[in-house]
Amino acid sequence: MVSILYKQEKSGNGEKAGQTERPAFFQDLNLDQILDKIEEDWGREVRELYECLPPDRETEDYRRAVFAEFKTGKLLPKLLRFLELLKQWGVYRERGEKETDPASRHVWFIREAWCYASALEGLRASLEKQRLQSEGLLALLKFLGECTARKDYQEFRRNLGSLWEELSSFRVKLIFEKDRFTLEEGTGKGAYGEFLAECFPEHAAAFKSPFQAVEELSDLESEAARIFQRRHKEFFQTAQEFYKRRGAYQEAGIFSLQREIAFYASYLKFQNRMEENGFCFCTPTVTKNGKRLEAKGLYDLALALVCMEEGREVVDNDILLKEDERFFVLTGPNQGGKTTFARSLGQLIYFTKMGLDVPARAAVVPYYTGIMTHFSVEESAETGKGKLMEELSRLKPMMEAGREGAFVVINELFTTAANYDACIMGRKVLEAFMERDCRGIYVTHLRELAKECPGVTALRALVDERQVQTYRIARAKGEESAGAVRQAEKYHLTYEQIKERFS
Amino acid sequence: MNVKLLYQNKDWSPVRPYQDWQGIIKDLGLKTLFEAANQDSVVRTSRVVYSQHEDVFLGQAVRRVMGVPLETKEEVLYRHEIMRDCFRHEDFVGKLYVAASRILADWEKLGKKKNHTGVRDTKAELITDIRVLRLFVNGMEEIKSLMLENLDGLSSRGFLKLHERINEEFSQEAKTNLEKILGDLAFYVDTNVQKAQRGVYTMNVPRIQMDVGLLDGLKFTDLKLENVETKTENYSNPYGIKAKLQGQIGSISPNVIALYKNTALQEDAANLEYQAVNFVMTCCGGVLQSFGYFFEQLRFQIGFYLGVINIKNQMKRSGMEFCFPEASARGELQYDDLKEVVMGMEQGIKPVGNEGKLDGVLLTVITGANQGGKSTFLRSVGIAQVMLQSGMMVCAKHFRSGLYPGFFTHFTRREDSAMNSGRLDEELRRMDKIVSCLDDRSLLLLNESFATTTEKEGSAIAYDIVKALKEEGVRILTVTHLTSFAQRIYEESDGGKAGDVAFFSAERLEDGSRTFKMIPHAPEQTSFGLELYAEIMGK
Repeated sequence: MVSILYKQEKSGNGEKAGQTERPAFFQDLNLDQILDKIEEDWGREVRELYECLPPDRETEDYRRAVFAEFKTGKLLPKLLRFLELLKQWGVYRERGEKETDPASRHVWFIREAWCYASALEGLRASLEKQRLQSEGLLALLKFLGECTARKDYQEFRRNLGSLWEELSSFRVKLIFEKDRFTLEEGTGKGAYGEFLAECFPEHAAAFKSPFQAVEELSDLESEAARIFQRRHKEFFQTAQEFYKRRGAYQEAGIFSLQREIAFYASYLKFQNRMEENGFCFCTPTVTKNGKRLEAKGLYDLALALVCMEEGREVVDNDILLKEDERFFVLTGPNQGGKTTFARSLGQLIYFTKMGLDVPARAAVVPYYTGIMTHFSVEESAETGKGKLMEELSRLKPMMEAGREGAFVVINELFTTAANYDACIMGRKVLEAFMERDCRGIYVTHLRELAKECPGVTALRALVDERQVQTYRIARAKGEESAGAVRQAEKYHLTYEQIKERFS
Repeated sequence: MNVKLLYQNKDWSPVRPYQDWQGIIKDLGLKTLFEAANQDSVVRTSRVVYSQHEDVFLGQAVRRVMGVPLETKEEVLYRHEIMRDCFRHEDFVGKLYVAASRILADWEKLGKKKNHTGVRDTKAELITDIRVLRLFVNGMEEIKSLMLENLDGLSSRGFLKLHERINEEFSQEAKTNLEKILGDLAFYVDTNVQKAQRGVYTMNVPRIQMDVGLLDGLKFTDLKLENVETKTENYSNPYGIKAKLQGQIGSISPNVIALYKNTALQEDAANLEYQAVNFVMTCCGGVLQSFGYFFEQLRFQIGFYLGVINIKNQMKRSGMEFCFPEASARGELQYDDLKEVVMGMEQGIKPVGNEGKLDGVLLTVITGANQGGKSTFLRSVGIAQVMLQSGMMVCAKHFRSGLYPGFFTHFTRREDSAMNSGRLDEELRRMDKIVSCLDDRSLLLLNESFATTTEKEGSAIAYDIVKALKEEGVRILTVTHLTSFAQRIYEESDGGKAGDVAFFSAERLEDGSRTFKMIPHAPEQTSFGLELYAEIMGK
């Protein structure tokens, strides 16, 4: 069976291999907020795909190539059309199965089959127009070609074609007068509707059938159908035979593809909407060798979602973790955007691993084996000692074997421990991760941890001259003398206030 | 459809009103003007049946329109043109107002809904909409012919454009189409049997033709309306056998589905009929909304002008002259025979007129005798300013001033004159609010501000505020008893020699009598309250 999420020759795909437990980082990095948004439109099934990280580097590349081709080929509308048709397929199929009137059921079946064929052939046609290069899409195209070339499909398709043509040309004139309906052959143009559209071009409306609310035929509709069937006996006979010989025309593989395509389509659509609102995305450059991590205009996508609704802007940041640097240690004032920055970094790694575009203007990302996060559990009602225990117990599995080379996001460790202890423990944690070839970021209040030592790069959340948070993050340059600065700024502040008032 | 009689390019909406309109009304006593606007002086004489001697809608219209200052000379001129037309054709304005009012009243009676494009739930609502459409079409016709009858005498851009717009949006063609639609839907509204002549009865019956697809498992899809019309059937007896038999006769044909004695089919027919009519009315929704909006705006905007006519006539009766003021660059202020119109109306006396020229003066300090007319003068400037900024006439021979969207009054509120810190606190809080809104397009009238504390403290507060605001380009007129404040300003400005500060005082003749006129005068230590005391209490 073909898949555009997992490479074929790999036997077990990640989903089946089963990550028994959902990683904690979905919550810590606020990815859940993003996924909730996607789930709103696309449902639980698609969300589950987001929650499975690709098992290896090849799969990441495989996906990235597929996603890139969907994007550059501007294939989103085609994908949406494919998904829409398959959705309709399901609806019509259900309606047909419920229908008791045979003639009506046969008409439903023609519609159902037509949706399936259109979905299949539409997607094949739009892929054929592209110069495909990615392994995944080439496999997909090959699969679609095979499906439509099968002999039984060809015959099925021929019969369907002529039936569909006839069915879609059927229209009747229905005349209502005081006490009767009269059914006449032939089509009109909807002359009165056109007259109205001309009179009121800005308020053209569509005529809603009053019988749509009920699924079965209304009395009037079944009376009309009876008269109609009498007139088109031949068509209904052919339709009946077509229905009887229907067999299992649908290829099972199509429906697993439906979900995988929805995965890409959902992100493309989400990304488009964010881009329309002025948020940047880029395709990260994934380096084969080396460990340099760099991003320009990086922002927290979950925060951007909230800001977009409230019409606020989001502060973005540039970062660089050089080849020989391993950990950022980020300090700065409360509410200064430290956690947001750490999250945005984690999101950068996550979306890169998923093979999707990332929320930044430009990004170079090396390969990491995984993502690990450790955020303090705020609501914990436990005592100080209990909390430390709880933190350590969550930390331990992160250092187990098999987690080497991962990207680690740590937010405020050991806040309940004494300062001296916390510094020593923090240093140990840093060293432990660095030994395991992990890279990452450590957000902390402890300035001592930020002291330069091999592999550690100190960052600070900046404040402006009035001590107001700017949410900008930059490399820390030495220690600043807080007292003198504040005095000068206090003076400034007073002046500004007076200026502001009267200007 | 827009009316645009208040602004050249938009209809009425209360955007950017005065920050404290309530306060201005209170301080300047504008309520009297609104009451005068309510007093009918036109409609009664035009012998229109719809007549009330007092119509509070007019006062409200004036109050609301005055509360939103005009910001450009062009806007002022635009209203002046229309105002002149209105003054020349009071009768026409009255008729227009009455027509719009009646249409709206009838609409109310039929059942007015807020949203016309919304979904109609019931047949009753649909019928209401058809009736309202009929009302609106007739109403538009009435307004249109009223405009046409009076077109010769009108010269303002506002009225001429309105006439054009009505002819454009309610063209003969549009009218014909709407009338056709109303005729086609008549069967839905006028369902009664009517007696055409002796022995002959007529009844409206529908004929609806649809074009229908069958793709959805033979359910009706993609319905198109081919035709809908009302047919008239004649009967000698509409309840007789002939009428009843009709359904059965049809059922003989294989293409006919007869409704006779089939309630399910009858229900389907009723649904289809409802849907067809609803479809047509949904298309007309825009017209309903647009016309409804038009009549509401028309009544309001014409109501404003009618209200102003009433005010003008009241002024005339009180013997007060008026002129159309001139909007000029900010910083200019000239007035000739400027009178306080509210006092004139209330007391039925002719107030004293003031004249003066204060071009380039940022700060005017008015001091002097109690009961000398200082506050009256300050109010007369304020009222004229507000009237100028709403495109109205002004009670003066000549009035010329800049436009100040940021117009504020800070008057001592006399209702509780207890001297306590609570009162000063209230004054300061009010001032704080005002200051946060001020810029160089502001005019501030201060009437005995900060007189609620000691002279020394009050002077200090007033001095700080006035000096700072003046530096920021805020134009201020202040009536004050705070002599050390006035003296200090006088000294610092070198007696107003720089030209940006002026000092006025209530004129006092040699014999101590007052003329109630304001004359340029250096601030004095006394406000001659003792004299007044003597005058009233006797020597």
